[in-house]
Amino acid sequence: MLGKLLKYEIPALGRKLVPLYIAWAAAAVFLGLMIGPLQGKSEFMIVISALLYTGVATAIFVMAIVLIIQRYKNSLLGDEAYFNMVLPVSTSQHIANKLISALIWIFLTGVAALVTALIIGLFGGAFFEFIHINWNLVLQQITGNAILLFIEILIAIFVSSGKTVMQIYAAITIGHQAKSHTTLASIGAYIGILIFESLIGRLFLVFYPAFEKMTTQISDYAQFQMIMIPAILISVAFIAVYFLVCKVLLEKRLNLA
Amino acid sequence: MARININNLTKQFEHVTALDDVTLELEAGQIVGLLGPNGSGKTTLIKLMNGLLTPTDGNILINDMEPGIETKKIVAYLPDRNALPDYMTTDKLINLYEDFFEDFNRAKAEAMINDLGIDPRLTLKKMSKGTKEKLQLCLVMARDAQVYLLDEPIGGVDPATRDYILRTIISNYNENAVVIISTHLIADIESVLDDVIFIREGKIVLHESAEMIREEKEESIDQLFREVFKC
Repeated sequence: MLGKLLKYEIPALGRKLVPLYIAWAAAAVFLGLMIGPLQGKSEFMIVISALLYTGVATAIFVMAIVLIIQRYKNSLLGDEAYFNMVLPVSTSQHIANKLISALIWIFLTGVAALVTALIIGLFGGAFFEFIHINWNLVLQQITGNAILLFIEILIAIFVSSGKTVMQIYAAITIGHQAKSHTTLASIGAYIGILIFESLIGRLFLVFYPAFEKMTTQISDYAQFQMIMIPAILISVAFIAVYFLVCKVLLEKRLNLA
Repeated sequence: MARININNLTKQFEHVTALDDVTLELEAGQIVGLLGPNGSGKTTLIKLMNGLLTPTDGNILINDMEPGIETKKIVAYLPDRNALPDYMTTDKLINLYEDFFEDFNRAKAEAMINDLGIDPRLTLKKMSKGTKEKLQLCLVMARDAQVYLLDEPIGGVDPATRDYILRTIISNYNENAVVIISTHLIADIESVLDDVIFIREGKIVLHESAEMIREEKEESIDQLFREVFKC
């Protein structure tokens, strides 16, 4: 059933984000042309195109956040919940569906950012420099540790994004327990969650004081691992806690208005 | 075994008791009118049967199970609002129902939608309020469910549409199912009812067969409703 939920949820987010990606790519082409070798270097046009590019990027960022909030709230606690919550699907699957589809679109937004950067490079002339790079030299620098480091950083970004999404979901679900002013209550709950995490972080440092020192003195890969792995595991634990909060409240305390 | 057992059900909202110690037993093979004025607790009762609200006290058993995944497989629910994603076309909504409900009969849905002349490529957003309600009802009634919970299915539509909706309900429900229709528009639906429940301020004030009311009390359900709920 999770697959079926994703089949409908991923396009529901995409129908608003894909047109923005296209606009972003167009803005990247425009910016690339303005800074490229073919242009007569009009500073005004460069500023305008750069503003356009960053404006669309900001719009995508804001839209992604709004959609993540809106899709969860409307689907599981708003009018659409009168359909979604009577589907023969478990609450865990509903939450997982929202989390996975949000992460997919966050990932795709990252990919879109890279693509627009390449477009700017291509139209800006840097592409020709790019293809003349001595790739053998670059590849020599990529050792086993560098690949591992890259994968680890990707996992860390992924887990950190998942934690942020689950913080938002938990805040909305907690806020919805209020009799009125649920949006205000959700904002309050979000602040509460941030305070809770900060307190847990401080508690962690009490039991693992070396951690703080290590973060300021990273000298080699092994030391980096000592920080990265606990940080990822802590984020995963937070995701599990927020997931559980949403699940229990949606199962035991659901009261649709 | 009754299809639905409601035992000492109470639902409290802050300072308001929406349902107060309700006990009911409903058998399959009948159309039940859940009748009461606005704010009497009809929608609350239906939401509780769907698991959209959590009871304060008491419980509900559908086929001996508390509302959950298993009951959702056999309960078809028409809410009192549009709950379907408004960016979806009729075609996509049919696919959606088919994907999630094993008892959904695609041919039946398509026939009903065709009868109503609804363009399958039209998104819900572009439909009138009445068309949206009819479409939602078609999708719900195209399921071969064991319980149909219809919350105000005829509220807000014209008399011709009311007739269509009632015909749809009668011709699509099966003998093994119980249909619960909540409304305050008694005169329009009383001809299709087998069983009648009057609810006032969260309490069941009458649970009688429609035939009994008509024959023994020699009154229409509408007349009796007006007497019981006289202001």
